[in-house]
Amino acid sequence: MGGGFRVLHLVRPFLSFLPEVQSADRKVPFREKVIYTVISLFIFLVCSQLPLYGIHSTTGADPFYWMRVILASNRGTVMELGITPIVTSGLVMQLLAGSKIIEVDNNVREDRALLNGAQKLLGILIAVGEAVAYVLSGMYGSVSQLGVGNAILIIIQLCFAGIIVICLDELLQKGYGLGSGISLFIATNICENIIWKAFSPTTINSGRGAEFEGAVIALFHLLITRTDKVRALREAFYRQNLPNVTNLLATVLIFLIVIYFQGFRVVLPVRSKNARGQQGSYPIKLFYTSNMPIILQSALVSNLYFISQLLYRRYSGNFFVNLLGKWKESEYSGGQFVPVGGLAYYITAPSSLADMAANPFHALFYLVFMLSACALFSKTWIEVSGSSARDVAKQLKEQQMVMPGHREANLQKELNRYIPTAAAFGGMCIGALTVLADFMGAIGSGTGILLAVTIIYQYFETFEKERASELGFFGF
Amino acid sequence: MARGSAHSQPSTSSATSRPGVMAPRGSAAATAGMRRRRVTGSSGTGSASVGSSGAGSNMLRFYTDDAPGLKISPTVVLVMSLCFIGFVTALHVFGKLYRHKSAA
Repeated sequence: MGGGFRVLHLVRPFLSFLPEVQSADRKVPFREKVIYTVISLFIFLVCSQLPLYGIHSTTGADPFYWMRVILASNRGTVMELGITPIVTSGLVMQLLAGSKIIEVDNNVREDRALLNGAQKLLGILIAVGEAVAYVLSGMYGSVSQLGVGNAILIIIQLCFAGIIVICLDELLQKGYGLGSGISLFIATNICENIIWKAFSPTTINSGRGAEFEGAVIALFHLLITRTDKVRALREAFYRQNLPNVTNLLATVLIFLIVIYFQGFRVVLPVRSKNARGQQGSYPIKLFYTSNMPIILQSALVSNLYFISQLLYRRYSGNFFVNLLGKWKESEYSGGQFVPVGGLAYYITAPSSLADMAANPFHALFYLVFMLSACALFSKTWIEVSGSSARDVAKQLKEQQMVMPGHREANLQKELNRYIPTAAAFGGMCIGALTVLADFMGAIGSGTGILLAVTIIYQYFETFEKERASELGFFGF
Repeated sequence: MARGSAHSQPSTSSATSRPGVMAPRGSAAATAGMRRRRVTGSSGTGSASVGSSGAGSNMLRFYTDDAPGLKISPTVVLVMSLCFIGFVTALHVFGKLYRHKSAA
């Protein structure tokens, strides 16, 4: 290995400054894990409500609007950056390591530590960079308006929040909590959004008198106050500008469908070579890559939106810029830009069924784009993440497991029959469900729902496993 | 990994125990991880199997083993976060007071 310069070694001087949560030296009991998880979640929730000190205004266009759902961030609060730093640095490091731009030898302990440190360092740097960029770009009011002192305070708050998120995620990772911090925060954010849209008591005046924002509350409010009950019902179910009951029902339906599909799997029988009679099975799930395709797909789309919006604001006359996307301020949510033309428009979900009927080409393009992007990302992901047929075969071989009726050398071929198909088809299914959710107008966008459901399902599985292992512990 | 489970549940020809054993693989792909970590909740089956499946681990084992660095215990992390929240709240409070005074 040795010789030559290695990028990874640049991290070494910083290694001793990076905060590092101690690994649990004992088995953390289930109850304690729940407590740690709940406290972390509480901290996250408080942080995502606590407004930043020193900001002047948060009105005006929000270029990150499209990313907020998957990045668990809240505008104008301490959690402005949300999990962006960790996710971005994780993605970058994984791509770098996967494409062998930085060499990592997994069997060397130091390499792993360096990679680990590099990721954390990158995360912190991204947090700092983004905080500075936010303040300088005048998202909270121009710097002269804020004053230098306040500007620095804002940057410090954002950076520290980023570090806290990194630490909380690591805390949960290292066995003190359940699941991972990232998924916990994403799921919480989305669920919060859904509950809020359903039960929000905020009233909004939209010209026809005050209306409640929450769909369920609005339903009762309309039913009680209006004299014409049928029209009141219709209003509650189909109102356009605010969340309506149909949206809520669609959300529930998508939840159920996804959970139903989670159970689909192919079970391959495997047998241990040395322990005679020990049989088992290797399940290959339909959603083999789970929610990764949509995370990647939405990361791609939101970056594209961001670039396209920036370009459009600067050079709206340019032909190529218009080709990439044309933007217009939305009529409903103030200050929000929506794509109305170009590529950005065609990869955005149609806003309603009526819109779909009016522009069938748009709907078709969107469908094709979603399905192919998800399938493609899913297939790449198994390679990058080390869950391809080759890796699984290697892993099974190390455990001395064979498939009865197949030669050992055939194992990979046999797995290859299932895994890529499962990955691609599963990705496509996920994409299709996202599209379905979008068409039905589910609350919090199709991507958000799918993410939330898959994460919650994973949590459920972890929960069961923990409980089972705990029981097994005492049972024997 | 299989051996690891054999510890706790000896010689049961268990289709039931198997998913539990294999799950780290399936869920590893899943664990909304942008990164790979094996020891998600490093207890039970996970911790028992670390030794045997060391090499079979994913290529990116972020956050699994200890790296040299500023060691902090989980309690410190939580306290630190709470202090941060307190700090920002205090800023708000003082900001309000200060503004009142300067206005008056």
